[in-house]
Amino acid sequence: MRKNAGYGWLLLLFLLPAQPSLSVAAAAEEGEREKLLEQRKQLAATVEKLRQEQDSLVFLKTMQASDSKYLVLDLRAAKGQLRYKNRTLKDLHILQREGTPARTQKAVVLTKKIEGPRQRYALVFGRSLILQPRGAAPYREDSIPRAVLTKRDFSALYYALEDGAMAYVLL
Amino acid sequence: MRIGRNILTLILAAACFLAAAPAGRAGEKSSPSLEEIRKQVDGLQHEAALLEEENQGLRSMLEDPDDNEIYLVVDTENNRLTMRRGGEVLLAAKVGTGSRQFVKEETGRNWLFESPTGSLSVLGKERNPVWIRPDWSYVEENMPVPAENDPDRIVRGVLGKYALILGNGYKIHGTKYTELLGTHFTHGCISVGDGDLERLYRSVKIGTKVYIY
Repeated sequence: MRKNAGYGWLLLLFLLPAQPSLSVAAAAEEGEREKLLEQRKQLAATVEKLRQEQDSLVFLKTMQASDSKYLVLDLRAAKGQLRYKNRTLKDLHILQREGTPARTQKAVVLTKKIEGPRQRYALVFGRSLILQPRGAAPYREDSIPRAVLTKRDFSALYYALEDGAMAYVLL
Repeated sequence: MRIGRNILTLILAAACFLAAAPAGRAGEKSSPSLEEIRKQVDGLQHEAALLEEENQGLRSMLEDPDDNEIYLVVDTENNRLTMRRGGEVLLAAKVGTGSRQFVKEETGRNWLFESPTGSLSVLGKERNPVWIRPDWSYVEENMPVPAENDPDRIVRGVLGKYALILGNGYKIHGTKYTELLGTHFTHGCISVGDGDLERLYRSVKIGTKVYIY
């Protein structure tokens, strides 16, 4: 029995000296892991940003080759532009925005121009966005973000854009 | 008693070892190894470099040698003209554009006084332009239409000091009716106030793009 007790202490004597070196190595590995994970996170964000930039550049390149006027709208910055090829025709000011966007940015198509009763003017871009002038009776559809422009900006767009016109929207 | 103590000693020894061992190993069985994370980082670095290169190419393709050239934009709905260069607005002016009126002659000829739209260019620049009255001008006033070369058609001093020729009889020119600037009152030309017209005349050159919408 005393022998058994000796084995126990002997085991302890063997195992404990190995602990400090194992701990140091593990800590170093853990440090490197954290560093790499942080680097991976930052790179993933950079890649996503570059993909988004590429998406908008491809849109602009497409529109440069097209003969149609188009919109670039940054709802977050409350501004936009009516453009033709690589020229700005008009700077737009977004007065108000409503609704929760489904995506951060995308190309959308003008599907409907509404000149309804009671000054219910609206430019509808599918289920992605509705543009209206200030003071117009709200044209609401569930879950479609809505942006309000000055009357002057809206009227310029209303007559400048035809059905099928493209817009690139940063929601 | 002693057996119990020995077993306790062995358990204590094992517990000491386990306690000192790095934590979390068992739980990280599914997390990627360092090598895997390194590979992922390398992959992302490669993808970012590739995207940056592609985007740079796209940016170059979007660049236009005319990006620094002045151009004019006419908003016929709001009767506004802007002179721009790049993202900068150099001049914003109230103008007159086509009245959108319709005139019909007894013979069947008719005219819609609308400003042209689209991408045009300044084809010529004139000082002290002369207006050659077109047929509709006589029809509109219920006057007999004179012969094509009739000197009666030549009218001086009604188009201001300067004119920018856009083609098809359309011009950007001055007006006597400055109080109407900002409205639709012309026969299709773009009317501009004297000060703005002078600035336009001095700034644009033949070939300057004019976008009318």
